[in-house]
Amino acid sequence: MFWKKKDKEKEQEKEQGSEKTSFKKAAKGVLYGMASHGHVMSALRTRMYLEHLFMFITLGDMLGIPVLPPYYSLRILPYAVPNIKSWKMRVFRERDFTDAIF
Amino acid sequence: MASYPFIFVVLAIIAYGIAFRVYGKWYDRTVWKPDPKRTTPAHMYMDGVEYFPVSKYVLWGYQFKSIAALGPILGPFVALSFGWLPALIWIILGNFFIGWLQDYGAIMVSVRNEGRSFGPISYELTGPKGRNTLLGFLLFYMIIISAVFIYLIATFWNIFPTTFVATLGIFATGILAGRLLYKYRINVVRVTILALALIVVSIFLGRLLPIPSNFLGSWTIAFWAVVVCGILFAGSILPMPVFIQPVNYVSFFPTYLAIILILIGALLSPITNISLVQAAFKGFYPDPNVGPLWPILFVAIACGAISGWHSLVGSSTTSKQLDIETDAHPVGAGSMLSEGLLALASVACYMVLTNDEMKVAAAAAGGVRNIGSWVYGAVKLTSAYFGGGEAVRNFLTTYFGVVLVIYALTVQALVTRFWRLISAEVFGQNILGQKYPATFVGLLIPWIFAITGSWINLWLYFGGANQLLAGLAIMLITIHLARVKSPSIYTLIPATFMIVTTLAALLWEIYDFTRAVLGYLGIEEFAKFGLKVAGPLAKPSPDAPYPYPTISVLLNSVFILVGVMLFLLGLRMAYYTYKAYFRFKAEPTPAMARESA
Repeated sequence: MFWKKKDKEKEQEKEQGSEKTSFKKAAKGVLYGMASHGHVMSALRTRMYLEHLFMFITLGDMLGIPVLPPYYSLRILPYAVPNIKSWKMRVFRERDFTDAIF
Repeated sequence: MASYPFIFVVLAIIAYGIAFRVYGKWYDRTVWKPDPKRTTPAHMYMDGVEYFPVSKYVLWGYQFKSIAALGPILGPFVALSFGWLPALIWIILGNFFIGWLQDYGAIMVSVRNEGRSFGPISYELTGPKGRNTLLGFLLFYMIIISAVFIYLIATFWNIFPTTFVATLGIFATGILAGRLLYKYRINVVRVTILALALIVVSIFLGRLLPIPSNFLGSWTIAFWAVVVCGILFAGSILPMPVFIQPVNYVSFFPTYLAIILILIGALLSPITNISLVQAAFKGFYPDPNVGPLWPILFVAIACGAISGWHSLVGSSTTSKQLDIETDAHPVGAGSMLSEGLLALASVACYMVLTNDEMKVAAAAAGGVRNIGSWVYGAVKLTSAYFGGGEAVRNFLTTYFGVVLVIYALTVQALVTRFWRLISAEVFGQNILGQKYPATFVGLLIPWIFAITGSWINLWLYFGGANQLLAGLAIMLITIHLARVKSPSIYTLIPATFMIVTTLAALLWEIYDFTRAVLGYLGIEEFAKFGLKVAGPLAKPSPDAPYPYPTISVLLNSVFILVGVMLFLLGLRMAYYTYKAYFRFKAEPTPAMARESA
């Protein structure tokens, strides 16, 4: 049946297309992993340390380290609140010298 | 066909294909049993900074980039003292039965232990003494790596006079790229294209402005080593986005292009008619300055067959970003087997050089054995399919020379930084734990070691420490497997082999330096073995063979002490790991415990 043949051809084309896409995706992923992934992580870590600093400054008063007067801490608090959960998780995480290789 | 480098690459692809597809799958089913439905630390503790899921392709690229450096390129040079056949067999079989098991196992152990790195894992499995021993071992390991790499970079600049300006050009390109990316926020594609153009310009500039070789006589290497330390100091103390990050980014392109070009050269060797011309086997003890085949061969090829560094990379970063457990096999095992391929291509670079070409290469290095031979082999393999003209060969010589320097410098910058972080951990508030003094000390000691010129012995110390770390890492994996009652024999045997071999290699090196000291002290029967210092500390004239005998004896004695420390720390760590293994092995399984209750 010619329409079935057409469907089969279409399916084959689709499969070939997806193979091409997945190959392209894999190649892009490998290139990104080799060239940039380490730097992206490093940039994220730098941001993390800055965020830690920001949180300590903002919440320092509540932790017994009065860095900022409470008036300013309260003004900044809305910006700090969304990050409290992940900040707490990161600060309490067990870290070691072998974590600092890259 | 058997006499072409082509056969190296094809053999490796077949062997590693079997290791990955057959042995790997069977091992997976028998031992680790990865489950794609089990939640990985990347999902469990996702914070978008350290823990987040990444595709296996990205992780493979990252893991390969992090593990492939100078080890598989320069290690075979020392190993070839025994001929290319033992090197070939060790790279293929070592990787097949040990190398990938370690890389893959390190990732899996970390994944099954909440993504923790080897420090906390060793603490949990072997106790605080085991963890502290590991820390002390790593400190010595860092000093040795730094000494070897500082010496090699200084030597490469001296052997290839066109590479210094080119290296500076590439570093300036990296810093400029960093400014454009982070400060002026220019599109990464545009910055990359500009950086690539500037790299080519830098290589041409290097050819236009060569520096004279040996311009300070025997002090030349010492001078270049100071320059290297200056660059590394800057790399260690400046923020990552200013120096190391962008320089590593722009360096990635020329260094990995070099690997691809060499692999293509090896695959095309039957067409370009470049054959293997070096001897296949030279004996079990051909050179007293290198040592016997066992254990030296197994530590000389420091990364191509197995490497402890890989376990640190796999457990510190990769395991925290694994999307599903089944990705660990292609990422960990796949990247290690790919590195084996790189090591074999590097072996091919040395083996296509005739003895006359080796002599020319050695003459360029001042008449000593030339570690830069890799460049001449790489040029021979690749220039044939680029037309082979004089201009092409000259350009490729500078290019491959720069690649060697950049490989060493970028890795060493990270090592120096890591030293600083470990110093902060060890020395705390002490002055040695502070940023500038720690970096200074971390460069001064390796500089002193480097200018002794005993680089082959230092390389073997580095290889010994690196492979011993690998053996200890496999032992940690074995302990974990014993604890969860999985089959542990497949890792216990390789771990024992690596630990025994590397401890024996360290003992040999201690013996070698002891012979040198006895030679300096005038004991006739030891004088024939050769002395372990070169450069400014070696003979300036036949009348005064050892101008600084006291310093030479002292330095060789220090090397003995370093070797003894590495050996003792390794032995102590091995003791704790075996003790923990037998403790966990003796513990009853949950079913047995229920029955006895």
